[in-house]
Amino acid sequence: MKKMLTLCLTAAMIFSLAGCSQQNNRETAGITDTQEDKGLDVMGNHVTYDPNHLVNNGNPVSIDWWIWSSEELFQNIADAYEEIHPNVTINLINNPWDGYFTKLPLSLQKGADGPTLFNIHNSYENLLMNYIEPYEIDTQQLIADYPSAASHLKDGKIYYTDYGLSTGMVYYNKRLWEQAKLTDQDIPVTWKEFIEIAEKLTVFDKNGAMTQAGFNYNNQFQAIALGLNYQFGENLFTEDGKVSQTAGKGMTQAVSLLTDLYESYHVGDKDFGTDCEQSFFQEQSAMVFVWGFFVDKLKTNYPDLEYGTFEIPTPDRKTPYAYYRYNGESTPGINKNASSEQKETAQDFMRFFFANDEIQIMLSRDGGLIPAKSALMDSEELRDTPLVRTVGPHIDRYIWPGSMPSTLENNIKIAGEDILYNGKSMEKALKNAAKIIDVDLANADFTASESLYEFYHQ
Amino acid sequence: MKQRVLKITLFVILCLAGAATVLPFLWMLLSSFKTNAEIEALEQSFLPRHPTLENYINLQNNFDFLRYFANSILIALVVTILVIYTSCICGYVLGKYKFKGKNLIFGVVMMTMMVPWSVTIIPRYTMFVKAGLLDSYLSLILPFMFSGFGIFMMKQNMENVPNELLEAARLDGANEFQIFHKLVFPLCKNGISAIAIFQFLWVWEDYLWPYLMMDSEQKQLLAVGLTQFNGRYATDYGGLFAATTISILPVIIVYVIFQKRFIAGVAAGAVKG
Amino acid sequence: MFKRRPLQSKSEIWMRNIVMSILVIYMVIFLIVPVVMVLMGSLHQWNPLNGTYKWIGIENYTRMFSYPTFWQSMFNTVIFCIFVVFFRVILGLGIAYAVNSKMTRFKTFFRTVFYMPTVTPLVAVAYVWKIMYNPQFGLIDKIFGLDINWLYDSAFALPALMLMTVWKDFGYAVILFLSGLLSLPSDCYESASIDGANAWQTFRHITLPLLKPTMLFVVVTSIISYLQAYVPVLVMTKGGPGTSTYLSSYLVFDQAFKQYNFGYASAISLFILVLTAIFTVISFKAAGSKEN
Repeated sequence: MKKMLTLCLTAAMIFSLAGCSQQNNRETAGITDTQEDKGLDVMGNHVTYDPNHLVNNGNPVSIDWWIWSSEELFQNIADAYEEIHPNVTINLINNPWDGYFTKLPLSLQKGADGPTLFNIHNSYENLLMNYIEPYEIDTQQLIADYPSAASHLKDGKIYYTDYGLSTGMVYYNKRLWEQAKLTDQDIPVTWKEFIEIAEKLTVFDKNGAMTQAGFNYNNQFQAIALGLNYQFGENLFTEDGKVSQTAGKGMTQAVSLLTDLYESYHVGDKDFGTDCEQSFFQEQSAMVFVWGFFVDKLKTNYPDLEYGTFEIPTPDRKTPYAYYRYNGESTPGINKNASSEQKETAQDFMRFFFANDEIQIMLSRDGGLIPAKSALMDSEELRDTPLVRTVGPHIDRYIWPGSMPSTLENNIKIAGEDILYNGKSMEKALKNAAKIIDVDLANADFTASESLYEFYHQ
Repeated sequence: MKQRVLKITLFVILCLAGAATVLPFLWMLLSSFKTNAEIEALEQSFLPRHPTLENYINLQNNFDFLRYFANSILIALVVTILVIYTSCICGYVLGKYKFKGKNLIFGVVMMTMMVPWSVTIIPRYTMFVKAGLLDSYLSLILPFMFSGFGIFMMKQNMENVPNELLEAARLDGANEFQIFHKLVFPLCKNGISAIAIFQFLWVWEDYLWPYLMMDSEQKQLLAVGLTQFNGRYATDYGGLFAATTISILPVIIVYVIFQKRFIAGVAAGAVKG
Repeated sequence: MFKRRPLQSKSEIWMRNIVMSILVIYMVIFLIVPVVMVLMGSLHQWNPLNGTYKWIGIENYTRMFSYPTFWQSMFNTVIFCIFVVFFRVILGLGIAYAVNSKMTRFKTFFRTVFYMPTVTPLVAVAYVWKIMYNPQFGLIDKIFGLDINWLYDSAFALPALMLMTVWKDFGYAVILFLSGLLSLPSDCYESASIDGANAWQTFRHITLPLLKPTMLFVVVTSIISYLQAYVPVLVMTKGGPGTSTYLSSYLVFDQAFKQYNFGYASAISLFILVLTAIFTVISFKAAGSKEN
């Protein structure tokens, strides 16, 4: 037994020593940059970036950047920056979405040892606000380039803003679509047409068990439900923007539409494909409603899956009050407790991030977004991306409800499961959710931005 | 005749129970050699139709599981050894000495077993953040150096050590430190094996604390790595099966090595109650 | 009182003082201070991220008692605990008795097999079971020809977690009961067989009473650990569908490290501590009353 222990211990020591040396290598690596004039052009429109300077006096500096997805995409950006400033090392740290906002606040408490840059989702804004350093970029210039930055102004400063706008759309599997003898002409506009199509795409075996779902929203109920209420003419929040209307008429109609899809029309099933994204990957669900990020997920995980997209259906062929909601995809925040070298580097990096059109195009194209930068809104490269093609024509008919705290999605998710799986009545489940949401909204001091909508009315 | 029927029935029942116990492991192992398409297919077969090692090969490319593995082994071993030592020595003092306040101390030790992690984790977390020990292996070792369960087990074990043996050693002029290290410690092999397995497993499967404390990807432990893997490649069932297989295997090996002593140790420690 | 052993030797006093003072310091830092901090924290609005630590009296507790999810989680925890402990003890005792029987061969083999799930990491096992419960390609529905969406059906989700936990943990009870059975004095059995007692009577009147210390140990340690269970929920259901599989310790995790309501989470965790204490006392009482 003693021998065994000694053996194990030695092995462990060797492993850990190997680990230590690996780490040391990384820290000492880093090149000193001496070339100030890099012979590169100044980039940008209002916010400009002149690459011909030294960052951190050309001395090696290393920063951590936390992300939760799209590693390749962000790596490209880091690489582009490192190419200009070889003394800078950017370490991408990928923490999955599930748990990202548990780990990030913890890590930020380490001060200078925490990440220097970190991706933000605006639903967690109030958790992070205390740790973000505002950008050292003239706010007027930034707003001139990125109009939606105006809504992120706090005491005349911008801590983070949007680099793109995202929303949801219907993704359909082209192979299954053809199998059901459907063509592009069949793309539905109204929910009635949508149901007819979905019925054709739903397959049962001889025992009546579903083997292919026409439409699947399992695990995404909350995403589709929140915002569908606009189609029925009701906002998510009351006029003062403080109280949610999640138990209101619009939401109730939206939720009953969704449950009817499963329970009355059987174009999908709460028990078939318990995660709609995965079921779509597996080609067991023909249509799903997911946000723009799904474009990148499909590209990296299932590049061979052929899919098309169309806009969310509406009750009738008239233009609704609004189709659905949109949200901003947030720019990385800078850790205010990072070291001054790191902060200087991060500020420089963010200026590069905002000014560089190529990066912004890549982010929107591969990330499934509409660019937030005004100069790129009509750019050639982005005209044909799924999201721009699908919702671009009506984007003025989408509402931004504000940086909705995560409590909304969490509690609508619970309400959805209570209705679908636990047999709770819709009114009761939604009322329950509204109660908890309103307490949380008051604690978070949230005010909705729905009143900024061009066609805002009650 | 009746005896024989009984014997066979008993054997069949045990075999069935055994099969039910092993089935999930077997399924996991076999599935780790299947392609994702085969795992997700609506038509299933137990044995892989097209066996592949791809899941294991990709695993190492995507995720540094060997590294997590080594980290987990290191921490689990260090904590286990520390706990064995502290449990033995505390058990010895509490089991063999008589002094004022002994019962109070032992009572508090027993309380540590009763206090849920959910009570201590928030203050402990606050303390470790303030002490700047985030992302340091010390944070994974310090809070687990003493184990209420271990001290309790060893106290029971120690009480079985005959007093005459100790007295004889004392008469030979040995001091208490020598007696403990040279005489008593080696006598408690069974108890030690029991603690070793329990403690190793607890550290090996502890999830929340290392998850909260460790940031650097290269320092992470296996159980946490497993959830990270699932978060990032939720659709890669084959990879998940391979990763789980890897994280389960070593504990089973440790168990098989120690299992003989283990049962005797549990018997000596726990059952006396 | 004054007789017993001669004077303690110097080295004994040294050893005792060193070991006990380290132990006491450790207990103070990792047990007493935390409990006091939680007690204080439960009376505050406490969020370490923005440095809030504001006295609010018993508001956390009133909020807790009026929060339906809290009661649901407590109810689930108690149900979970009772069922899992019950099956763990029954299965553990039954299988240990069978393995221990003179008629059984391959004892070591069976012992090793039954203990296997217990020595595997829970997180890993939970992932495997999560896929086993999948309604489309999971093992369980396929084997039994069922069509149950285990983890999403409110009637089955909590039992599914319990089934997994029983599978994972019954081996622990098997081993403990086995060692209990091995240490039983054999003369009791001899006198019983002379009296002509049948197998059941022997088990009921001789084995079971003798196994009581083991039983108590298994029950108490199980109760303590199941009142703290959260990993199955975290990995397999995230508390869903709805809130139907919330366990109280998962609620603490959710409130503390997802919503950063440290004060509120502290209040809930203290309630779990009280519950643990009550359950432990009840099991000791129950064991004591049977004796009379």
